[in-house]
Amino acid sequence: MLKIDHLTKHYKGSSKGVTDLSLHIAPGDLYAFIGHNGAGKTTTLKCVAGIQGFDAGTIQIGGIDIRKDPLACKRQFAYIPDNPDLYEYLTGIQYLNFTADVFGVGAGEREERIRKYGEAFEITASLGDLISTYSHGMKQKLAILSALVHRPKLLILDEPFVGLDPKAAVILKDIMRSICAEGGAIFFSTHVLDVAEKLCNKVAMIKEGTLIASGDMQAIVKQGQSLESIFMEVVEDAKTDENTDQTGTM
Amino acid sequence: MLKQMKILTKLELCNLCGLNVLRFSRDKRAKKRSLGLLALWIILLAMLIFYVGGLTYGLIYSGLEETVPAYLITLSSALIFVFGVLKAGSVIFRKEGYDILCALPLSKGSVVVSRLLRMYVEDLLMALAVLLPGMAVYAWNLHPGAGFYLTGLLGLGSIPLIPIAASIFIGALITGISSRMRHKSLIAASLSILAVLGIMYGSSRLSAMDGGIDPEMLQNLSATVMALLGKVYPPAVWLGTAITREDILSGVLCAAVSLAVFAVVAAGVVLCFQKICESLYSSAAKHNYQMGVLKASTVLSSLCRREFRRYFSSSIYVTNTIIGPVMSCVLSGALLVTGPETLKKLLPLPIDVGQVAPFVIAGVFCMMTTTATSISMEGKNWWIIKSLPLSAKNILDAKILMNLLLLLPFYLLSELLLIFALKPGAGELLWLVLIPAAIILFSCVYGITINLRFPILEWESEVRVVKQSASSMLGGMGGFLLAILCAVAVGIVPKGYAVYLRAGICVVILAATAVLYRKNNLFDICGRI
Repeated sequence: MLKIDHLTKHYKGSSKGVTDLSLHIAPGDLYAFIGHNGAGKTTTLKCVAGIQGFDAGTIQIGGIDIRKDPLACKRQFAYIPDNPDLYEYLTGIQYLNFTADVFGVGAGEREERIRKYGEAFEITASLGDLISTYSHGMKQKLAILSALVHRPKLLILDEPFVGLDPKAAVILKDIMRSICAEGGAIFFSTHVLDVAEKLCNKVAMIKEGTLIASGDMQAIVKQGQSLESIFMEVVEDAKTDENTDQTGTM
Repeated sequence: MLKQMKILTKLELCNLCGLNVLRFSRDKRAKKRSLGLLALWIILLAMLIFYVGGLTYGLIYSGLEETVPAYLITLSSALIFVFGVLKAGSVIFRKEGYDILCALPLSKGSVVVSRLLRMYVEDLLMALAVLLPGMAVYAWNLHPGAGFYLTGLLGLGSIPLIPIAASIFIGALITGISSRMRHKSLIAASLSILAVLGIMYGSSRLSAMDGGIDPEMLQNLSATVMALLGKVYPPAVWLGTAITREDILSGVLCAAVSLAVFAVVAAGVVLCFQKICESLYSSAAKHNYQMGVLKASTVLSSLCRREFRRYFSSSIYVTNTIIGPVMSCVLSGALLVTGPETLKKLLPLPIDVGQVAPFVIAGVFCMMTTTATSISMEGKNWWIIKSLPLSAKNILDAKILMNLLLLLPFYLLSELLLIFALKPGAGELLWLVLIPAAIILFSCVYGITINLRFPILEWESEVRVVKQSASSMLGGMGGFLLAILCAVAVGIVPKGYAVYLRAGICVVILAATAVLYRKNNLFDICGRI
């Protein structure tokens, strides 16, 4: 579904970015992407979503190279950033209609989906209000609705649980599971390791732009340990390796 | 309070015209754009210096040296006032940073004063650009004493105060009235345009020479000009006279009165600041939506609808871009009322009004197109467009279509008025309809071209995009200059050749539009912006 090979992206004049990152996400995968602040998670997700260009490597979505045919790739996924800055001058329903129009979703289908997910997230009554009146959590719910309205094969989410109330978070987790059960895939970043551990079948860890671990959750999280302790362990190991390398080269 | 004002003013000024970005950005492209903008400002400044210098020299050469300071003060004050009315509400009552500042232990007064000082600094620069070259030419030719420089310096600092105070008064009044209404932005924009039209009409009535010029007036032209300026803006004459007579005391008095007027208006704004901001930004949610039948639309119509909603959500965007089309209708109407023959008598050159009118009308139409800033206006929402399966053509077509649909009623009205005014034959009618249409189409596409090259997506206030960006300046100038150049060309060629020239101009403009349109659609919109 999503194939990232040797992705490299560096910002001019900054040491931050992503170096030689490779990940393969298959249909049905619920893939968590974890790392410190500034580790390169958002950069990776933005490159995958076609929002940001990259220096080297390839990204394929459904077998299509995002550089060669970005529109065909974008028709297959939905992206939600960590801070959903939506069109504040539109009402919620206008925004959803806009997204549905862009993806060519029929009137009946969009109505059914908006009704279903709007009620699930308890946001239907607010859909007639301007987005400028929405709280952060409501904007997040609306962004999720706009992603679900066109039934994407792949969901790319940056910190999707931030700002959501507990009930909405539970509903989102259920929806994520059902999408993957139906053959879709989800690639999302999170700092909530507990959620990642319980929800996902796969996990990738990134540190300072380099992938330090990835694979099946069960293989990575050994018996009796939590993802949190594994993450700390892996990050510390990477740090030690780095120090050793640096000493070696000196 | 003073310390708070100092901190806030520093914050306001640190990113004036994107200076902070230029200083600290590591993005070479952003730096290049900022430098490009700086170069553009320098070119405009050089043009202004040339114009003001020439004007001053002309006045001195005509024996009107006494009127020079008053004339320049009136000119700079008029510029500050008109631009001030259009931006005052957006600068003083802007939303960006309002919540953060309110939560900090800062007084309302310091917040308002810092925003007023920002306006003052911007307008002082404008006054300097007008006054300094003129005064330099004056000093070079007339060798005045030290009193001239002292009074001039004092006056320079006080010149923006009254125009700013007046524009803030009108801006605050408009914002205050519109804040109570549902369609705030649209109401504010309409009131601002009405205010500007009212000011223009008022000043034209005031400066009109009742009963024409008699021989006595011609004998003392200097006094006539001063009397005229006094009608338009009396403080300019007081200060201008103080400068030419090197009367420092009068200069101090003028500065004190200006400061007092500014302080009174500032105090009024401080009093109503919070109330207006709360009315503006605390829109109540109804929370009563019920799902009904939804309709599907094509991608283009959906994008175009969104463009319209974006446009009408910003009063400063509307005000600055609609003033040109409104002025075109006003000019066409004025031509209908006065008649082309009367206008011909008033013009210094033997120009055929009927031939030049379509170009002039088109030029005024294109003074500021919406497309020139439509990409920048996406701001922090740009990620949405980038993440959706939309081609550059989809996105840009919607922006052009919105601009054309917006201009259509103004174009039709203006054309109708022009047809009634000029009563053209069949051949002339074709040019009257075709030339403005071709120039408007060109300026819409050209606006996109410019904004693709000079986009700003990270801004703290819409004023930065609409009034201070390279796109808004270059986008506005392109169509306007093209129309004016064509008007001059058509005006000076012999009448027999004019028809061929107009046909040639239309073909070239339409061909250039097609080339730009094609190039725009091939632009890597996601990769380069």
